[in-house]
Amino acid sequence: MIPFQIERIYIDEKAEKDWLTQKILQGLSHLPVERVRGKKELIKKFLSSPDPLTVGKRHLLITHDYGRRLKPCPGTSNHLCCGYYIINPMTNCPMDCSYCILQEYLNNPFLTLYTNLDDLLQEIDLFLSNQEENFLRLGTGELSDSLALESIFPISQILIPFFAERGKGILELKTKSSNVDCLLHLNHRERTVVSWSLNPSRVIEEEERGTASLKERLEAARKCQERGYPLGFHFDPIIFDHGWEREYEETIRALFKTIDPKRVVWISLGGFRYPPKLKGIVEERFRDTRIFLGELFPGKDFKFRYLKEIRVEIYQKMLGWLQAVDPDLFVYLCMESQEVWERVFGWAPEDRRDLNRIFERRLKAFISKS
Amino acid sequence: MKSAQRISLEEIDFSDETFSVNFRPELERLRTSIGKIGLIQPVLLRRKPGGYQIVCGFRRLWVLREFGWPDVSAIVLGEEKEDLQLFEISIEENLTTRGFNPVEKAIVIDKFIHQFKIEPSKVIHTYLPLLSLEPNEKILGTYLSLAQMEEEVKEYVLKEEVSRTNVRKLSTFSKEDRKILIPFLSSLKLGESRLRELLNLLDEISRRDRIRVREIIRHPEIQGILSRRELTPSQKTERVKKVFLELRYPRLIGLERTFEKRRKELNLPSNITLSHSPHFEEKEWRIEFRFATLEQYRRALSFLSQLAEEKKFEELIKEDSNGDLGK
Repeated sequence: MIPFQIERIYIDEKAEKDWLTQKILQGLSHLPVERVRGKKELIKKFLSSPDPLTVGKRHLLITHDYGRRLKPCPGTSNHLCCGYYIINPMTNCPMDCSYCILQEYLNNPFLTLYTNLDDLLQEIDLFLSNQEENFLRLGTGELSDSLALESIFPISQILIPFFAERGKGILELKTKSSNVDCLLHLNHRERTVVSWSLNPSRVIEEEERGTASLKERLEAARKCQERGYPLGFHFDPIIFDHGWEREYEETIRALFKTIDPKRVVWISLGGFRYPPKLKGIVEERFRDTRIFLGELFPGKDFKFRYLKEIRVEIYQKMLGWLQAVDPDLFVYLCMESQEVWERVFGWAPEDRRDLNRIFERRLKAFISKS
Repeated sequence: MKSAQRISLEEIDFSDETFSVNFRPELERLRTSIGKIGLIQPVLLRRKPGGYQIVCGFRRLWVLREFGWPDVSAIVLGEEKEDLQLFEISIEENLTTRGFNPVEKAIVIDKFIHQFKIEPSKVIHTYLPLLSLEPNEKILGTYLSLAQMEEEVKEYVLKEEVSRTNVRKLSTFSKEDRKILIPFLSSLKLGESRLRELLNLLDEISRRDRIRVREIIRHPEIQGILSRRELTPSQKTERVKKVFLELRYPRLIGLERTFEKRRKELNLPSNITLSHSPHFEEKEWRIEFRFATLEQYRRALSFLSQLAEEKKFEELIKEDSNGDLGK
């Protein structure tokens, strides 16, 4: 079942004959299909409609991407980046979170699926074979949700065995969905981490439209745990609002009522942050959003973040609640300065390489233990 | 073209505003003109059961009634003419003679949508350009919201030449809040950007704390500022803004205050300034000094060198001190 509404499919003629295109069309045979030659005009036409972001989420574009689809995570200046790599088999997402950066970042409003799969797999293969490290982390959840479109575009079902066979690199599937049934039978050899973005139920209801509930996400995580997948959780973005402490503490309690902390390979913490242009876009689309009501100020990279004192307080408290469950949980901060790391953990990675080494050690220990 | 005829003012239904789009019309010039040379253009009326309906010439007829004229030169149309067609004639006529103020544009647009039931897309593409407005949904929404707001808001918008952005913001507040908000804003001196700033602060405090805007305005501190007669509107505006900022950013303001207190305790000479990074984001401090003579330069260096030995200075800049500033 598709929990979102697609109204029309556009197929770039270059992608028409791909087997993956045929598979997508089989699953959506009830929908009108329009063939297009080149996508630029189509995108231009949609961008001039009154609400291209909402309309785009209801239209599927099947096409090819001949550019690089495996890139280092862009990170942000003056902040510690964890050496992550992003893979983009698709762009945009059917879910509609008020804080989503893609609203500002993408210049193509369609749910876009790239069906030149062989090119992507070759790119990943070449990248992995050139790496000395065995535990580089790569994820598909940056420019889309890794699993939201899985029922029509089974990319994760292709990538999981691919990474298992290579035995090099770690694939992370980051999601706010509960679409995991199709993954359960796969042989992942612990080379795939399935991870969920978590927020308290109130934040999910108010700010994360079209996503699975907290209960559904945790139930999906439990199924993956049973099948031996390493699990990840991302408290990101944390929204600082009245009563945040009670809500996040309850969320952590709910998480570990369902999940064994020993099966959690990592947990990230990140306060809400946004580039300046996002606020105007979001306020037009989600008038009642509460995400901008905190004390948020621009930094050297022009992105707005909570006052440093507030961020440190958030992270210290979250860390305390997590360590009370299991002091061995591996917790890291996403895009934070060394100073904030030091104040939260009492130490900080020296640089990106150092942080990457810490992740490598963590993964080695986690996989050998299990 | 029909020829004009004399129609008695008593037969004209002044209460029928089907085709009126006037808002606070400026009649003085018209009074002078009619008083001096009389009525040049006949008004346009439509026959209706028991009298006449005004299509074009509301202002002229109001002035003539004031002057006590018994009748008026008018072109009279038959009852068969359709309302929409006459409304369009009235708009065209007004555009060629006087133009519309923003509230009148809002009334025109509102009538097209709600009285004449014209599709929004047609209003956007046909009538917005006619009124010299950009043809898009946002503009349509802005003017519709203005038309639906209270008379006091419309008057404020006209008087203060409030921008569309601020009109949109005003429309997001409740009617009850606007009733308190407009007199409050009128008592201050607000340019466009200061108005936007105050409206945003009020909106964000109200939504964050889940309290009504009118409760914030009734805050004793705000009322205290407003009641001080010795303050000019500009001074009141600055003080009100300060209170709003304290309510909106309590943690940042707390840090600023503690920093100020500690800085004062250092008794820095007037030519030496100490400042923190913007919003305390970076763990760094900045010291600047001015000098005109070598002697002043030596004194500044000597003071700075002694400052390094000061415990209070060390406390201010020590590693975790910025975390404690607000506590």
